[in-house]
Amino acid sequence: MTLGNKSALIALRLTPVLVFVLIVAMFGTMAPRFLSLQNGILIVSNATHIAIIAMGMTFVLLIAGLDLSVGAAMYLSAVLIATFVPIANLPMAFAVAAAIGAVYGLVNGALIEYFRAPPFIVTLGTLFVGRGIGLWLSDTRTVFFPEAVLQFGRDRMFGIPASVLVLLVVFAAVSFILRYTAFGRGLYAIGSNRERALRAGVPVGRYVVLAYVACGMLATIGGVVSGSQVAAAGAGYGEQKEFWAIAAAVLGGTSLFGGRGRAFGAIFGAIMVETASNGLVMINADPYAYPIVVSAIILLAVAVDALKTRITQKLERRLIRPNDALA
Amino acid sequence: MPNVQAIWRGVDRHLVSLGAAILVLALVLCVVAPGFASVTTLYDMALALLPLLILALGLMFVLLVAAIDLSITATVAMTSVIAASLITRNGGYLSGELGIVIAFVSFILVGALIGLANGAMAAYVRMPSFMATLGTYLLLGGAAVWYTSLHTSSSSIAGLPGAFSVVGRGSVGPFPIALLIAAAVTVLAWLLVNRTAFGRWLAAVGSGQEAARVAGVPVQFTILGAFVICGVCAGVASIILTARIETGSPVLASNMLLDVVGAAVIGGVSLYGGVGKIGGVILGVLLLTMLDVGLRLMGMSLFAVLTVKGLVIVLAAAIDGLRNRMARR
Amino acid sequence: MIKQASPLLRMSGIKKSFDGVPVLKGIDLELAFGAVKGFVGGNGSGKSTTMNILGGVLKADAGRMELAGAPYDPAGPTDARTAGISFIHQELNLFPNLSVAENLSLEDYPRIGGQMGVIDWRAVRSRAGAALRSVGLSISPDVEVSSLTPGEQQLVEIAKALTADPKLIILDEPTTSLTSREIDRLFGIVRELRSRNIGIIYISHALADVREICDEIIVLREGVVTDEGDVHSMVTDRIVAGMVGRSLEQVFPRRRAPEARDTPPRLSVKGLSKRGTAKDIGFDIAPGEILGLCGLMGSGRTEVARMVFGLDGYDSGTVAVDGIPLRPRNPREAIKRGIAFLTEDRRVEGVHLQQSIVWNIPLVRLSKEGRALAWLDPSRLAAEASEIARRTNVKAASLEALVSTLSGGNQQKVVIAKWLTLSPSILILDEPTRGIDIGAKVEIYALIAELAEQGMSVLLISSENEELLGLSDRVVVLEQGEVREVIHRADDRFTEAGLTIASSAGGSGR
Repeated sequence: MTLGNKSALIALRLTPVLVFVLIVAMFGTMAPRFLSLQNGILIVSNATHIAIIAMGMTFVLLIAGLDLSVGAAMYLSAVLIATFVPIANLPMAFAVAAAIGAVYGLVNGALIEYFRAPPFIVTLGTLFVGRGIGLWLSDTRTVFFPEAVLQFGRDRMFGIPASVLVLLVVFAAVSFILRYTAFGRGLYAIGSNRERALRAGVPVGRYVVLAYVACGMLATIGGVVSGSQVAAAGAGYGEQKEFWAIAAAVLGGTSLFGGRGRAFGAIFGAIMVETASNGLVMINADPYAYPIVVSAIILLAVAVDALKTRITQKLERRLIRPNDALA
Repeated sequence: MPNVQAIWRGVDRHLVSLGAAILVLALVLCVVAPGFASVTTLYDMALALLPLLILALGLMFVLLVAAIDLSITATVAMTSVIAASLITRNGGYLSGELGIVIAFVSFILVGALIGLANGAMAAYVRMPSFMATLGTYLLLGGAAVWYTSLHTSSSSIAGLPGAFSVVGRGSVGPFPIALLIAAAVTVLAWLLVNRTAFGRWLAAVGSGQEAARVAGVPVQFTILGAFVICGVCAGVASIILTARIETGSPVLASNMLLDVVGAAVIGGVSLYGGVGKIGGVILGVLLLTMLDVGLRLMGMSLFAVLTVKGLVIVLAAAIDGLRNRMARR
Repeated sequence: MIKQASPLLRMSGIKKSFDGVPVLKGIDLELAFGAVKGFVGGNGSGKSTTMNILGGVLKADAGRMELAGAPYDPAGPTDARTAGISFIHQELNLFPNLSVAENLSLEDYPRIGGQMGVIDWRAVRSRAGAALRSVGLSISPDVEVSSLTPGEQQLVEIAKALTADPKLIILDEPTTSLTSREIDRLFGIVRELRSRNIGIIYISHALADVREICDEIIVLREGVVTDEGDVHSMVTDRIVAGMVGRSLEQVFPRRRAPEARDTPPRLSVKGLSKRGTAKDIGFDIAPGEILGLCGLMGSGRTEVARMVFGLDGYDSGTVAVDGIPLRPRNPREAIKRGIAFLTEDRRVEGVHLQQSIVWNIPLVRLSKEGRALAWLDPSRLAAEASEIARRTNVKAASLEALVSTLSGGNQQKVVIAKWLTLSPSILILDEPTRGIDIGAKVEIYALIAELAEQGMSVLLISSENEELLGLSDRVVVLEQGEVREVIHRADDRFTEAGLTIASSAGGSGR
């Protein structure tokens, strides 16, 4: 039994990678252009903002939380940057965006931690609040990002789009935080077992709020990166990004049940989602079919996560007759 | 005096405070929003809230088992375009009265099938329901647009026969048909929750899955059933909404999700499962709709209204969270 | 070895009451450096309370403690840890999703660059390497705890305790989930710690283990030290005599012996096996008979009950009611065939706390047939519920009261009432009186006897031997998921001492 469970677990862990290989092979044969280096760079560059938001999402998924308001935070910060705050240069754009995201996350985190309200409903509410304020401020008109941000979208360094460099910086920072700080490690402990984490002296309440702050910040930073590529933010800017971000994180092996996940997984998942949409473009698929294909992949990832979690829990159960396991 | 106390204990405080809130809001609106107290406004409002009521009742079933269906509005859209494609005068598959009957059935059947898929993912694969239904939400949103594109070059399927759209605006005697449908759904929902074993199972699963299993409650079946009922309600709401605009639209009800979840939660249906009353949902729908109409009459933009509603829902969720925390102590 | 003037630990006159009920009535305990002391006592003897006071979890009402000659008065568990006391609980405290190395450092990461610095993973690993060596565990510090066997996890827990460099270690039932080889290794480690002058308090029900590893043994009963001595003088009979008090005869109803034994069994369990849980379990229960199920914690009592009722599956064997086998893994079939199951975890599995009494009671009956649309008449259900609540003597202001507002005893009566709506022919009771005051206990005992009198077959699981003796006609002794023996009421070992020896004289795992 145990052996069967273990191999099932390995198979489930490999599923996303296999699906990825399958996608690449399928589109590669159908559209040779798909496998070009140029297209590869395009995919990565288009995936950067999702990857960044997904890394933020990883913080809250690690504590078995969730943030559905990331798209609204993106939109609200876009409106503020584009119209209300005079942006002199790129660092300022990022700093202002990050500050807005931090406040947004603080509100989410505080409501979730201190009222013990379910994360998905709190963030569903703040999604509408944020979007409503954004639409109000912009009077529903499309807003345009300042020149500094647009220039960033055109910039390349050593032939690599600047957005990819930002992605790498964020990746390094998130990996560092998750790996080398007590905060990062505390998230894994909280997600595994909140009570034990409390007993082990982890400042649970503070870390939960901080996780939402991190998520909000990375959402708005991702928003600036995305804005540099699309130049304008219409009323629907950022819509459904929460879903892509969660999907990317889960495809990359982060569990919705908490305690498991890595920054790199978010990047892998984002690239995978982007590869699928890009491939559909390459084979001239009906554009309406995109969301269907992509959401099917995502449902698969969530199902895999659910099964994985169940098997892991089964394996962790204690035995009455430990000697049986030896036989 | 003990009698008074006993009566007070028997009264549901949540319903009382909701009723009081509605009265206060009505008074305030009468004063600040001229035109609110007119017969036409009230009549329009009453008709407008019926689909929302049906959807919120459907969602209540899922919330009772401590799950959620975020795909409920996408289900409305999907059933709308499929049924419309059957009977549209511009190349529909069916015609005549039988066609219209089949269209009605298809609303309900498609809704039930979507509910079945959601329920299977939640009950058997044990995927977190908010994530599984977020997935179907996206899937159905895409699929509805795609399905529409197969039938027409425009963005929706128009040209529905008058015999169908009469459901939206017609009436039987003094009663609008939509009202009769909503009333029927409400009564059925009430009977199901309060007068059948299934109603007890819902609350049993939602307020203690383990205890329910030990007591012999068919837990997975109950979860599945709740999702199917929710899907059916989405189909029924879609009948009214589709008939009103006489068009099968892939974005039908797309802006209603917040209202549906909000109405249920404000109506006292707990997000933690096991607690919820039909009366509460009705009052929740009423309160939210009045807020909506009133704020707009006051000249607030659609988006300011959205913000206020978002805040109200966060507030309701926070109250629910606190209540749950205290109950567990 | 350095001669110490004062002992490592001295507790004197420790008293503690909960809600006015004295639980510890003046405990004196002394532990020398480098000694292993066995701490033995039945349920409710005050063992855990004593250890929780020592570990800083509870505060004593009276008495004083000294650690290595200095006064010791911990304000919390952290104080106890810094004072050099490590408490290894039976319930493991590891994070399965993290590596072994990280679990060992989690409470105090080594850092580069001071207090606010980054985590020094190299130090984490080397610290872990040393800690694992100290318990003789040759696993990589990088593997996830979830991939370890329970025995390995136990050793990691001990290794974690050792990283704090403790003077005193408390081990609570450390052998329950270990293989024989792992127990040998554990004992090796305990001896090695002793040689390093560390004091150890070893709590266990497995008397053979206690006698094998301890230097001294202290016995508690009802909050009083009843016996104490070195391991050579403390033979099993003497330990048991210390554990077993005078019985509370008056508490238990007088039972008539059941009718002639040649009636066919009501419930018959044969060859029930499940890998890792149970092996070849078999027993019969006649109509009107009460069969006790005795065994240490972790011997598989609850698991057997769950398999019989169909909550868990099994690999082989049959469970038959009146000779007709039940489909496995199907609680509703068990319910239909007349089995009622009062579970151990009342709050999670027994009742719906958030719902009212009158809501809770009819639930099983409404599920029995599995008909979703079965019509329900609330006023009739309420009338039936109140009738049955009266029979089980549920005390509440109103039947509309939420179950969460009731006392433990009344909650348990609600659970019994719920099952009685079925008119079951078989009643499985798993720890029916846990956490219940004595008054309610007596009522529940009377009810159980009455039900058996009416012909119901009862399977009674309890960790209180007194309860088993007071009610059962026969007692099945379970050990490591196997039936060790069956003791009849007529048997001269049908005494507290007899059951204690039967269930705990064997060491766990051998």
